[in-house]
Amino acid sequence: MVPAMTAPLTGARTGLPVVSATATDADLIERSLSDPEVFAALFDRYSGMLYRYVSKRLGSEVAEDLVGETFLVAFSRRDRYDLGRPDARPWLFGIVTKLVSRHHRTEAARYRALLRSPVDGHVEGPADRVASGVTASASRPLLAEALAGLPRRDRDVLLLVAWGDLAYEEVAQALGIPVGTVRSRLNRARRKVRAVLGDTNPMNDNEEA
Amino acid sequence: MDDDLDLIRDLGRDLDRDLGRDLGHGPPATLVRQRRRLTEAATGAGAGRASSRGVRPRGRLLIGVVAAVTAALILVPTALLGREKGGTPATGGDSTGPASAARALNVLVLGSDTRGGAVEARSDTIVLLHLPADRKKITAVSVPRDVMTTLPACRTASGQTAPRSTGLINSAFTIGGLSCATKAVELLTRVRIDATLAIDFGGFKHMVNALGGVEVVLPRAVNDPGSGLRLAAGRHLIRGDMALAYVRVRHGLGDGSDLDRIERQQRFMAAMVRRAKNLQTTSPLRLAAFIKAAAASIDTAGPLDLGTMQDLARSLERTGPGAVRFATLPVRPHPTDPNRLAINEASAGRLLAPFNK
Repeated sequence: MVPAMTAPLTGARTGLPVVSATATDADLIERSLSDPEVFAALFDRYSGMLYRYVSKRLGSEVAEDLVGETFLVAFSRRDRYDLGRPDARPWLFGIVTKLVSRHHRTEAARYRALLRSPVDGHVEGPADRVASGVTASASRPLLAEALAGLPRRDRDVLLLVAWGDLAYEEVAQALGIPVGTVRSRLNRARRKVRAVLGDTNPMNDNEEA
Repeated sequence: MDDDLDLIRDLGRDLDRDLGRDLGHGPPATLVRQRRRLTEAATGAGAGRASSRGVRPRGRLLIGVVAAVTAALILVPTALLGREKGGTPATGGDSTGPASAARALNVLVLGSDTRGGAVEARSDTIVLLHLPADRKKITAVSVPRDVMTTLPACRTASGQTAPRSTGLINSAFTIGGLSCATKAVELLTRVRIDATLAIDFGGFKHMVNALGGVEVVLPRAVNDPGSGLRLAAGRHLIRGDMALAYVRVRHGLGDGSDLDRIERQQRFMAAMVRRAKNLQTTSPLRLAAFIKAAAASIDTAGPLDLGTMQDLARSLERTGPGAVRFATLPVRPHPTDPNRLAINEASAGRLLAPFNK
């Protein structure tokens, strides 16, 4: 057993399995095959991160349930996890992406709402929040419009990179597509975003081409 | 250049900040409910009801808050003053007379949902209201139902005494009804509670219906399969399930934030007040039906005596329905059970300090 000094998230006092903070995700998943409760440690590691990602796309109310669903799906498929991959984030984001696609109406409505949101005058809070909101909100409607207009697959790639902080290879793993496809979808998505933002610099089109 | 990606990242941070304004920093402590779903699956505890997936209908908690505040602000005054007028017309006669020496009040509102013939009534929504002496601003603090706490020794319905124990806050109502729930919330929050009332959410719908519907104005058409709300843009008189969906819906109306929804609910409450006040002069029969519907869904047993209620009802007439501040009891994951919540005593103490003045 791992010593308790590793600040276990599933505490020794509860009689639940003790999990080392340094164990890789693959280690945890492997252990969970014989000791299912170890899987909760994966939840403790990533639920917050996934929650923030889904909240951005679908709003916080849907996010809570969807994150729960993601871990249930992941748990039921843990025997098929490639233990050669120490980091489980791409795998989890892949499941999240599939579940998010079921909510495309919600997502579309959210971007439509963002188009209008800065007009809301009664922001409760300190003045600096309002001030920072003014600069950020300038491009918000345009970005929302651009995101709403993207084909789902291109948007998935763009947001996994921008909001999920995944590298291209990780996006490829998450979506089960070649890295080349990730690049081409990302370029296409970014081109459209720039077009909506009114960028006329043709040099921007050529990078990574 | 990465300008476009940076802009999208900025938008992401912006949205995170909106979220933070709604929920405080970090993911909500209520995410532990999802963790519980996982560990139940892992230990096989949830196997028996795997088909139902254990997902509660969304939005019930908020309906509860709306119903609770509606009850406190509108139904209680209307129902009680109405009853007073109808029953004993000799009393006072003029409710706008000199306000009785008002004092600050803490009112606990329990919402239960007995629709669908649940086996036991549970308090699904627990809201603690603070009404300051001037009644100008009301604070509504909702207590998450899965907070683990010390439950006091309580007398059960069968007359036995349930010993002091540790359990979920919402089980106190099941164990010993209103008085037990009151003691448990007092123990948890260290706030002295002056009055407790329980409402049945099933009644919300009936109350709106009894008013003959409530008028809302939609800036654009809404079709939200999640809540079942489907309306064209413009002015509508909505009732029944549509009214429930309207206060419940989060996507498709407004900016999708909790603040937006709370504002919409407050507008709805304001519309209910206007409608009720209007009926007072135009259609006393309809108002009587409304009062009956309201009274049927409110249980005022417990430490709440009629005198207190009448004081409350009169003093609340001075409070605008928009003057409510909503908050949630600060919680954190429970130290020994990561699937449950515990009160965050430091933050809760700060939030609840005005309650004990």
